[in-house]
Amino acid sequence: MKRVVVCLAVVSLLAAGAASAAYPEKSPQGYVMWGAGGALDNVSRAATPLASQHLGRTIVLQNRTGATGAIATTTVANLPADGYSILFGAENPNLYKVTGISQIDYDQFDPVIILMANVGVVVAPKDSPCQTYQDLIQAAEGGKSIKMGSTGPGGLPYVATNMIQKIHGVAFNLVQFDGEGPALTALMGGHIDAVAVGLLAAANYINGGSVKGLAVISPERIGGIGDVPSVKEIYPGKYDQYLPWGAFFGVFLKKGSPKEAHDALQDAYLKACNDPKFTEFADTMGGVKLGLVGDAARAYIEQNKAVSAWLLYDSGGAKFSPEEFNIPRPTVK
Amino acid sequence: MTQNLQYFLIPFMDWRIMLLLWGGVFAGIWVGAIPGLSGTMAVSLLISFTFSWEINDALAVMCGTFVGAVYGGAITAILLNIPGAPAAIATGMEGYPLAQKGEAGKAIGLCTTVSLFAGFVGVAALAAAAPIIARFALKFSPRDFFLLAVMGILLIGSIGGGDPIKGIMSGTVGILISMIGMDPSTGELRYTFGSLNLMAGISFVTAMIGLFGVSEALTQFRTSGAKSPKQNLTKVIPDWPTFKKYLPLAVRSSLLGVFIGALPGTGGDVAALLAYDQAKRTTRNPETPFGHGAYEGLVAPETANKGAIGGAFIPMLTLGIPGDAITAIIIGALFIHGLRPGPMLMIETPHLFWMIVSMLIIANVALFVLGLLSVRPFAKIIEIPKSIIMPIIIILSVIGTYAIQNSVVDVFYMTGFGVLGYFMRLYGYATGPMVLGLILGPMLDSNYRRTMQIAEDRLFPFVSGFFTSPLSFFLTASIVFMLFSQTKLYRKWRGIE
Repeated sequence: MKRVVVCLAVVSLLAAGAASAAYPEKSPQGYVMWGAGGALDNVSRAATPLASQHLGRTIVLQNRTGATGAIATTTVANLPADGYSILFGAENPNLYKVTGISQIDYDQFDPVIILMANVGVVVAPKDSPCQTYQDLIQAAEGGKSIKMGSTGPGGLPYVATNMIQKIHGVAFNLVQFDGEGPALTALMGGHIDAVAVGLLAAANYINGGSVKGLAVISPERIGGIGDVPSVKEIYPGKYDQYLPWGAFFGVFLKKGSPKEAHDALQDAYLKACNDPKFTEFADTMGGVKLGLVGDAARAYIEQNKAVSAWLLYDSGGAKFSPEEFNIPRPTVK
Repeated sequence: MTQNLQYFLIPFMDWRIMLLLWGGVFAGIWVGAIPGLSGTMAVSLLISFTFSWEINDALAVMCGTFVGAVYGGAITAILLNIPGAPAAIATGMEGYPLAQKGEAGKAIGLCTTVSLFAGFVGVAALAAAAPIIARFALKFSPRDFFLLAVMGILLIGSIGGGDPIKGIMSGTVGILISMIGMDPSTGELRYTFGSLNLMAGISFVTAMIGLFGVSEALTQFRTSGAKSPKQNLTKVIPDWPTFKKYLPLAVRSSLLGVFIGALPGTGGDVAALLAYDQAKRTTRNPETPFGHGAYEGLVAPETANKGAIGGAFIPMLTLGIPGDAITAIIIGALFIHGLRPGPMLMIETPHLFWMIVSMLIIANVALFVLGLLSVRPFAKIIEIPKSIIMPIIIILSVIGTYAIQNSVVDVFYMTGFGVLGYFMRLYGYATGPMVLGLILGPMLDSNYRRTMQIAEDRLFPFVSGFFTSPLSFFLTASIVFMLFSQTKLYRKWRGIE
């Protein structure tokens, strides 16, 4: 309890100190596009109290879920661009246009910061006949029916699986789950043969030995699970066109918000992102800390959008061609 | 071993953890009792609130709230026929008629006592057999979840009111409503008519608040002049013979609850409904017929949903897989506090496991004491004139619905369901099957299709799976038996009226 009192005192002192500054005059409202307990929610709730301390005001978070985040995105886009409505979003809006879910995506927003990336990793049951990534690909090439877990079109597992299918010219038998967690549960129960999920969902299972990590879909190995090779090591050159690619978690303001609000939030979240507490949190979760702002953040979003939108379109999962929205096809850099 | 015992005893020694647990239980009872405010909501709010606390303190208040909220749902179900939480839907079926007879005190007292028992069964299972149960729960394939959902759908026969056709209609509409939104498997939009709000789907909690809360309030306005039944509050705690009479049922239902709770993705709501159905089918000669205030129909769901609490922690602590919605949020809290919920949790942080076990024990004792102390004040609620209490219920329903995801659209849905429910009741359609359809619709839909996908859309592998997998075969056989047991032939053979 003592800690709470001290914390409250610190927060209120900071609030009093910052009261003279123009922004923030009141508590900003944060809208989290995924539900409580999910990865985006955890990242938002870990970074925001730290950022609030630097900002001098508490950012009040609420979950506004539904339609893979389109509800929250539309809600914030319809609120005034005064810097007091903040969107906490993942990569999902990048596919709203090609799937026809909504016309409102990150084009209507400015990224304040991209906090963390979630890299894809292919995992198999620990007693699987496929002990390496090559085993899995060769089995599929040999025409063996492989039950591959997935989530709805546009989700990380879906796009990653399509990437693998396209690159190696193989076809998996896709089994759809309600999320990465349920897909991993089914994998551990032996109901599916493999699944490509975000590292955030899988890191603890890989390290705990209840599933086997075959490969990370990334140019290099990832710190938290150093034993798992990267796809680039196994199949050099084949994946270059699509990498780096992964899910991400960021903080966004509607375009046209006051510059001072944008700068104040950027400053607060950068400090939060560099806080050792947040670094420890990222390591625990298996996330790759990014801390991208400005043009770098925008470029990251656009790269993700190009890869995901075209992979989805090529696999038949998209309603509209990315060309209609001027999304360039990813090429080897 | 002594090390584990030490961890186990920490919460008993620490007055702060004690206080937070009791406080959590007390707050949880109220949160659970108020229609619309749910334990899930309270625990997710607690994540932000306890961010800077020590992990033990944060866990204590979360565990307390969890246990309290599951119990609280039954209070309003019994007193007002408005279940405060989905896990209390079945409780209201028998509890409300009892309250109408003036036996609310006895009903709540019995609920509280068997809850303590079931809570202990859940904790015992968690402490003694967690790894075994978790491994068994993993064996449940999509086909088995599909069969469980089918078993749940059969409940329409139990809660559908007098006319089976009307019950089935109500349930079907519920399943259809659950389909609104994005198809979980292909992302295709269903019944959305281009509206973003319909794309988000209609949450069953929203529908439940309307169909049970508002429609009940509207219905009761019709009889608002009538005098409320006088409550007999002399003997609240059940005596030993009474307790002993319901003990076998309580054991069965709480074990069922532990297991359903341990299955990833199913929690106390499904457990309570299945246990109610099971009690109704197996109780040979209830003192009062089911639907008119059978105590068996009160004991079964209340023990099942308390057992499910311990059950839900089983996959969470052994594998890092949430057993229900609240444990999913507690996993998030553990991450934020720098722990690694997953298969290594018990090895890296064994103290956490044993502390949660003892926290749940304390929470259950707190629930027993606080529950019994509040029987009298709670039972007085029923004596408040309906013209005062019912408008309050409607206001709470609106606030509660809005609070789920801060959405005004949900309030409109809820109001719509309230009016719909009123007319359904007026014409003899039970609202229970519709909510059941909403809860089980997505489970049926996605697991049926997953099973088909695993069978590569071929009929033979799909059908043969029901017979070749031992678990599926057992569940299929149970469903066949449940249907057969309702036939005249069987009832004649067993001599059931």
